[in-house]
Amino acid sequence: MSKLLDKAKDLATEIKTHWHTPAEGKYVPYKEYKDVVFAVGSNYAGSKVLEYIGFWSSCYLIMHHYKLPYLTFSVIGILNMPLGYISALIWWFVCDNLGFLPKKTERKLYFVYALMMIFGISTILFDYSMLFDQTSSFIRYLNGLEGMNATACFKTFGTHFLYTGWVGARNIFWRKKLLPKYGRYKYSLYCDVIPKCVMVILIGWLPVYNIPDVATRVWVANLLFATYNVFGFANNLEICTKSISPNLQERILVRSYPVKISHFFNTIVGIIMPAIIGMLRYEWADINVYRYVIPITFIILAIFTMKFAGKIQERIPQPPVEKKVQIKFWDGMFGVLHNKYLLINTIKDLIDALGNGMLPFTTILYFYTFRLSGLPYSLIVMLISFAGTPPDLLSPYFLKRFSYKQIMIFYQLTRAIGNALIAAAMWFCGDNLTLCGTICVVVMFFMEMTKTVPTTAGHDMDVRIRDYQMYLSGERLESFSGVFGWFTGPITSFVGLIIPLMLLKYGFNSNWDVLFIDASRRNIIVVPLIVDVIGFVLMTIPYFFWDYDSKKQNMVMEVLKRRAEVTEKKAAEEGETVSGGYIG
Amino acid sequence: MSKKEKKLANQYEEPIQLDIPEDEIWTYRVEGLAAPHINKPYKHYGLKKFIFAIVIIVAVSLSMYFSVRTVQKDTFEYESVSSGIQLSKFSNTGFITVLDIDFVSSVEYDESNPDVNTNFTIIKDETKKVTSVGPYALNCDEKVKVINIGADVEYVDSKAFYSCWALQRIEVDENNPNYCDVDGVLFNKDKTTIICRPCDYDAYLAEKYGYAKYDENGALVEPAPEDENYAKYVNDVLTYVVPSSVKTVGELCFNYANLKNVYLPEGLKTIETLGFFEIPRLENVYSYKGAEVSDTHFTSEAALGEVYISLPEGLEYIGSDAFSYNQAMNYVYIPESVTFIGHHAFWDTVYKESGELKGVTVINVARLEDDFKDSVEVGTSWRPQYDHMLFKKSIDVAYSQQRIAK
Repeated sequence: MSKLLDKAKDLATEIKTHWHTPAEGKYVPYKEYKDVVFAVGSNYAGSKVLEYIGFWSSCYLIMHHYKLPYLTFSVIGILNMPLGYISALIWWFVCDNLGFLPKKTERKLYFVYALMMIFGISTILFDYSMLFDQTSSFIRYLNGLEGMNATACFKTFGTHFLYTGWVGARNIFWRKKLLPKYGRYKYSLYCDVIPKCVMVILIGWLPVYNIPDVATRVWVANLLFATYNVFGFANNLEICTKSISPNLQERILVRSYPVKISHFFNTIVGIIMPAIIGMLRYEWADINVYRYVIPITFIILAIFTMKFAGKIQERIPQPPVEKKVQIKFWDGMFGVLHNKYLLINTIKDLIDALGNGMLPFTTILYFYTFRLSGLPYSLIVMLISFAGTPPDLLSPYFLKRFSYKQIMIFYQLTRAIGNALIAAAMWFCGDNLTLCGTICVVVMFFMEMTKTVPTTAGHDMDVRIRDYQMYLSGERLESFSGVFGWFTGPITSFVGLIIPLMLLKYGFNSNWDVLFIDASRRNIIVVPLIVDVIGFVLMTIPYFFWDYDSKKQNMVMEVLKRRAEVTEKKAAEEGETVSGGYIG
Repeated sequence: MSKKEKKLANQYEEPIQLDIPEDEIWTYRVEGLAAPHINKPYKHYGLKKFIFAIVIIVAVSLSMYFSVRTVQKDTFEYESVSSGIQLSKFSNTGFITVLDIDFVSSVEYDESNPDVNTNFTIIKDETKKVTSVGPYALNCDEKVKVINIGADVEYVDSKAFYSCWALQRIEVDENNPNYCDVDGVLFNKDKTTIICRPCDYDAYLAEKYGYAKYDENGALVEPAPEDENYAKYVNDVLTYVVPSSVKTVGELCFNYANLKNVYLPEGLKTIETLGFFEIPRLENVYSYKGAEVSDTHFTSEAALGEVYISLPEGLEYIGSDAFSYNQAMNYVYIPESVTFIGHHAFWDTVYKESGELKGVTVINVARLEDDFKDSVEVGTSWRPQYDHMLFKKSIDVAYSQQRIAK
C-alpha cells in the first residue's frame, strides 16, 4: 500500500515539476496533456455528432426523411468516379507541397478550379440533358438508373465539378495562409468551423426532403450535402496528437491516456443526446433531432474545440516549410509506390472492400430488432463502447509485449470470429429476441474489448508509415498515397456493388421499414456479415509481410531530426527568415 | 514471445545515435530499409510513367464498364420458376404509370417522339405468360398508379408491391382463377384473404367520390375538419370496410394507408405480420357482425349489423408489428378468441405529450389474467412502451374487460 502511495506521490511530483517544461528526452509538458483532454475530447465528440448527418444511406435523416433508393448512392459514386481521378491529381500535388506552389502553377490551378466551378454552377442552372436527343439510348439509360433521371444525372455530375473546384481553391488558399501558423493537421479547423456550423443548421431546416419527385430530391440533396462537405470538422486534433512528439514512447503515452480520457466527452454526449432524442415524440424519426438537438450539441462542442485547439502542437521533425523538399508530381507518385508498407496496407484495404455497401448491423440490431431508444439505447451503446477502455489503458503494455504483426493478425481473426458468431445467432436464434440479443451484445462487447489495442497499433503503424515515407521521399506524401486508391478504386467500386445489389434482392431500397420484416432483416444482416467474415480472414495475409520494427523506426526518426537540424542551420547561416520547422 | 521479439520491443527505450554527415542527410540509408530517393530521377522514368498511365486507364475503363453494366437494370426482369415465369423485378423507366403483369414484356422507344412521357411502348410477348410475381418485384416505386394482373397469374407474393407510394389500384383480370379485386384492392379469388390495399388508394377514392383537389405540388387537398363535407369525406375516403367473407388480412396489406377507420368482420381469424403497419391516422378499429358485406365503401353502421369497438371476436392470430406505429389509435380490445400476439404487435402506439400519456394507454383483454397468461402466446414487447423515469415502461393490461358496442 505504501509502495502505491509512494508511486502516486512520485507521479504527482513529476507532473508538478514538468507541468510547463517537459522532462529531458521528452517533448510534451503535462499542461499540454490537460489541453489534449479538452481539445481532442470536444473535437472528437463534435466529429462524432456529425456522423449523424451525411449523404449516405445509413444516415437516419436520409433513410427516414429523404427516402433515397439505396443503389442511387452507388450510381452517384460511379458518376463521380472519373472526375475524382483527375481532381485527385491536383489535390495531392497541392497537399503534399503544403499549399506552397510556384506562383505560375498556383495561378493555373486557380484558373482550372474556377472553370470547374463555373461549369458546375451552369449545370445546376440549366438542364444539359435537353441538349441530347430524348429518345437516344444514352438518355434512356440515364432515365433508367435507380432513383435518377437524365436531368438529375447531369446536375449530380455538375455538382461534383462545383464541389471539386470550390474545395480545391479553398485548399490552396487556406493552406498557404494558415498552415505555417497552425500546422498541417489543425489549420482547417480555423477556416471551416463557422461555415460548418451554418451548414449543420441549414441541413435540418431546409425542407429538401419534402420534394415530391425522387430524382429531383436526389440531385438537390446531393448539392446540399456537397456544400455541407466543403467545410470539414474531422477529428483533426487527435490526428495532430499522433505527431505530438518525435519520442515514440511519448506518442503512445499521449494516445493511451489523455487522448483516451478525452473520449469520455463523447461517451457523455453519447448518453445525453440519445436520451434527449428518446423524449421526442417520433424519437430518431423526429425532424427536431436535426433542427435542434444535433446543431446545438455540435455548436457547443465546436466552441470548446476552438478554445483549446491552439494549445496543442504537432512536433514532426521537419525543415521549415519554405525550405522543404519540393515534390514533383511523378516523384510523388513513384515515391509512394516504393513504400512497401503502404502496399501492405493497400492490399489489406482492397480485401476489406468485400464488406463495402454493408449496412451498419449494430444500428439495425438496436433499432429494428430490439427497438431501443432513449436512455436504454445510450446505456447499451456506452456499455459496449466502454468495453474498450480498460484494455486501451494497457495499450503501452500490449504494444511492448506483442509485435504489431501479431496484434493485427489477432485483430482480423477476432473480427472474423465475432461476426461469424453474430451471423449464427441471427440465423439460428433470430426468433428468440432475448437469446439472440444477449449473444450479440456479449459478442460485440468482446469485439470492442479486443479492438482498442489494435486500433492504437494501427494508428501508430500509419504514423510510422508516414515517417518512413518522409525518410524515403523528404515529405510525408499523405495525399499522394492516394495513388494506391487509383489502382484499388476501380476494383473496390465494382466489388462494392455486390452487397447493395444483394440487399436490393432482399427488399432493401429506400424504405428502411423493410427491416421490420423478420425474414428480410435476417437476410439483409446475415449475408453481408458472412461476406465480411471471409474478408477478415483474408486480411490476415498481408500482415505476414510487415517487418517495420521499433528499431528501424527510431533510426528513421534520427535521420529526420538530422535533416531538420542541418536544413535549419543552413537557412540561419544564409540569413533567411523561416517558419513551421521543427527539429525535435 | 521469443527472446528476439522481446529484444525488439524493448528497443523503444534504446537511444539510437546515428552519425550522419551533413552532405549525406538526403541519401543516408537505414539498415534493412530502402534507400531514400529525393530529388533524383528514377531509372526508366519514361517507361515507368507510360506503364503507370496504361495500367490506370485500363483499370478505370474496365471498372467503369462493369459498374455501369451492373447498375443498368432492365425494366422488366423475369425468372423461370416451377410454375412458369415470375416477374422478379420491375425498374421503372421513370414514366410508366400503368403496369400490366400478364405476358413477358419489354420497352421499345419511338425515336421520332421527343415527349418522354409518351415515347415508349411496352411490347408483350404473348407466347410467354407471367405466372407469378416475386417478393419485392416492385420496391419503393413512386410512379406506377395502376397494376393490372393477368388471367394466368397464379401467385402474387405478399411483398410483391412493397412501398409503391403512388399505387392507387390493383385490377385483376376477371378470368383469373386465383385472384380478384374489389374496387382496386387485391383479394384471393374467394375473397377470404385481403392481400393488398394500395398505399395511395385514398387518392383513387378521392377521385371517385369527387374530392380531387390538388395543391401546386400535386398533393391531395382534403376538406378541412370544420368543412360540412368533412364527415362524408372521412366515410368515403378515409374509412374502409373489410368484406364479411375475409378470414385473413395479409402481410403488409394496409401498410402506410391513409385511413381513419377500419371495420373488420367477425369471421376474421388472422391478421398477418405488419397487416396494419404505420397508419399514422388510424384512430378506430371496429368489428361488425350480422351482415353480409361485399362492398368496401362505408355507407352507415346500420348496414353492418352490430358494431363493436374491438378487434373481431373469432380473431386468433395477431402477427408481429400488426398495428405498430399507429399513434392515433387510443383504444385496443383483444377478444377471448386470440391465442397468439406477435412481437411488437402494438409497438409505438403510445407516446407522451406535455407529460401526458396519449394513444393506446392500456390494452383491454377479454380473458382473465391467469387464463390469458396460460392460453395466449405473446411475443417480445407486444405491449407498447413509454418513457418512464428515463427508462421504458410497458403499458398496463386490463383483464376481464367487456367489449363495448358502438
